[in-house]
Amino acid sequence: MNRKLIGALVMSGALLLSACAGATTTAEDSAGGGEEATGPRTLLIYVDPVREAAALAYQASVEGEIDVTIEVLGQEEIIAKVALANQTGEGWPDVTFNPSNNVGVFQDPLNGYALNLDDYVDPAIIDGYNGSGDWCVIDGSYWCLKNDLAQTVLWYDTVIFDELGLTVPTTMDEFAATALELAGTGYVAGAIGDQGFYAGYLWPSGCPISQVLDQDTVRINPDAVECTRVFELVQPLVDAGVLDTRGSFDAGFLEDVARQQNVAMTIGPSWWGQFVIRPEDSWAIPAGRMAAAEMPSWSGETTNWSGEWGGGVWVGNSNAPNPQDVADAIVYLATDPDMRADKVTFPGYKPAFEKWAAGLSSDPYYVGDVTAAMVVQAPKIRQDERPARFDLRGQLGVLGTELQGSGDVEASTRTFMAGAAELAAGVGYTVVK
Amino acid sequence: MLRHRAKLVGQINALLMFLPYLVLLVMFAIVPIVMAFQVSIGPSRLSPEGGIGNYMFVFQDFRFLSAVGNVALFLVIYLPAMLIVVAGLSLLLDTIKMKYTLPLRLAYLVPAGISGSVAILVWYFMLEPTYSPFAGIFAEFGITEGVEIFNTSNLVYIFALMAFFTGAGNWIVIQYGSLQSIPDEILEAARMDGANVFQMAFLIKLPLIRKYLVYMLILVFAAGLQIFVEPYLISSSVYPGLAKDWSLNQLSYTLAFLGSNLGAAMALSMVMLLVSVVVALIIIYRTDFFDEARLKVKDKK
Repeated sequence: MNRKLIGALVMSGALLLSACAGATTTAEDSAGGGEEATGPRTLLIYVDPVREAAALAYQASVEGEIDVTIEVLGQEEIIAKVALANQTGEGWPDVTFNPSNNVGVFQDPLNGYALNLDDYVDPAIIDGYNGSGDWCVIDGSYWCLKNDLAQTVLWYDTVIFDELGLTVPTTMDEFAATALELAGTGYVAGAIGDQGFYAGYLWPSGCPISQVLDQDTVRINPDAVECTRVFELVQPLVDAGVLDTRGSFDAGFLEDVARQQNVAMTIGPSWWGQFVIRPEDSWAIPAGRMAAAEMPSWSGETTNWSGEWGGGVWVGNSNAPNPQDVADAIVYLATDPDMRADKVTFPGYKPAFEKWAAGLSSDPYYVGDVTAAMVVQAPKIRQDERPARFDLRGQLGVLGTELQGSGDVEASTRTFMAGAAELAAGVGYTVVK
Repeated sequence: MLRHRAKLVGQINALLMFLPYLVLLVMFAIVPIVMAFQVSIGPSRLSPEGGIGNYMFVFQDFRFLSAVGNVALFLVIYLPAMLIVVAGLSLLLDTIKMKYTLPLRLAYLVPAGISGSVAILVWYFMLEPTYSPFAGIFAEFGITEGVEIFNTSNLVYIFALMAFFTGAGNWIVIQYGSLQSIPDEILEAARMDGANVFQMAFLIKLPLIRKYLVYMLILVFAAGLQIFVEPYLISSSVYPGLAKDWSLNQLSYTLAFLGSNLGAAMALSMVMLLVSVVVALIIIYRTDFFDEARLKVKDKK
């Protein structure tokens, strides 16, 4: 019996091996065909549901030349899919839409997925970003193109500002003073129990959280004055009840505050207008109230920096047999003015955002031209925070959870940053103060 | 000679019957385990030489101990709840034999149909005071905000609740089935000896289905140890980051796919496999789980 069992095991093992070998050969054959450019040109694109329309437009634009396959999946799945392809040595998507930090993971030589775009993208395209696409620069090369900019601006409700006789703050000290004037009125200066606290406060202030100095070093330091000044400014606002510690999408915040038109002002990314403030199933603020102003500046800073909440990037596959096709697709998806004109997010490429802004600037829903502040802030996204190999996006959830739970701004940030430092060390960074 | 041949035929038949499962076992369990083990002792960024480096990395990870604590507490709540409620309800179902038994069995199965991402949504709406039909009850206890329920200290109870309702119904029906396997003669004899309903349930039926309960315990333990869907979904959609790396399986997923450390992820998976197997073996050998089978073989001889 035992001998038979061993025999059976050996046999099924052999069967399994031959099956695997068969599969590998076929895959290599088809890949080889692309390399010699004898077969049809193909391109596999992974996008999230929001970017599907853009991918479809690209597919239509190259119909007959390139056989484009589009796969729609969640943003959080991309790294896993690429990791699996790296493991099996085949099956990489040629073009991927990513949360901004992914480029740090994919540029890592041990991952090797990201295509260096320097040789394939016209420098004029890069120039058209006017520095706002520099997130994609690692070691002096471009590894991605920004799909959109998610630069923070100051959104405010003109009706409430008129009612209370407030003026739009231009410094963070004025922001705090204005916020404190809301105490007791039922109005608030936004919510911080989510990624918004990082994007709208810590990042513009320059608090070193993901300050990648080189491939092996990252600076994370909650004791830096750029962090402590945020704690000192924000905590009194939380204590006074004018900054909500729930998230901006929290069901309770929506119900009690946002949908009651009780948000007097809030720091938020450029896409909030069309995506958060306006929609009926979101904040549902009526027309003729909201306006956007430039970011207030932190004391001692000469520039009123923005942070970013979102601002996805397009990354190409370095293993693709036809890198020029990959790069061309990325350029189209990130910058094509006609295609981008009706998409909700702010394109970083100048000709594209000019056309995009033309539609929004005259939109009677907003008071005045909200794109003016966005254009001013576009090149002012603070570049101290850099794409890193560790999962900062996931760790940001910890920040939100801590803030919601305790309302203690400094303690929550320190817990979050301590976790970030552990994560950074876990992927091989030396963490410096 | 004839007897020898009959024995050989019997063995071949046994092998033939076992073979389909064996193929699946090799393909989808043995091969992946061997591959995982190889990766777990292979080189990775922080353990270039391979060996036990990946295991040490996992044990020293800042999330490891808290995940162990979370899962342990979860099991302490979930396992007894499953055992007691499932055994109790299936005994009740078996005792009240009347025309309602069939619809009742169906009713137990309904919550089991709500699993995975749907369960998360359903429980979110039930527990979120803004949407919940029980908002009035929450308000009685002074709970009006989502964060008062969905916070880190309550997570273990929320997940135990979700897992319990997802799993209990199935097991009640299965254990009801195992109660049907008790020979009528035994129950008849007990009844004639004057056993009342409780004595029948606790002294006759329960000991007779103990093996099925042990079997359930092994499977439920393995499933509980690997809890993933509930914390993963809640922290990737509803409350971002709330239950991040809460369980061991989540940590393994994070290491593999977000931390780019497949070696450490496999090391953690191997540790979990080892724990599952050891616990299963302990349960099997500390009870008479396999004894009946042996007895029957003896009887035949």
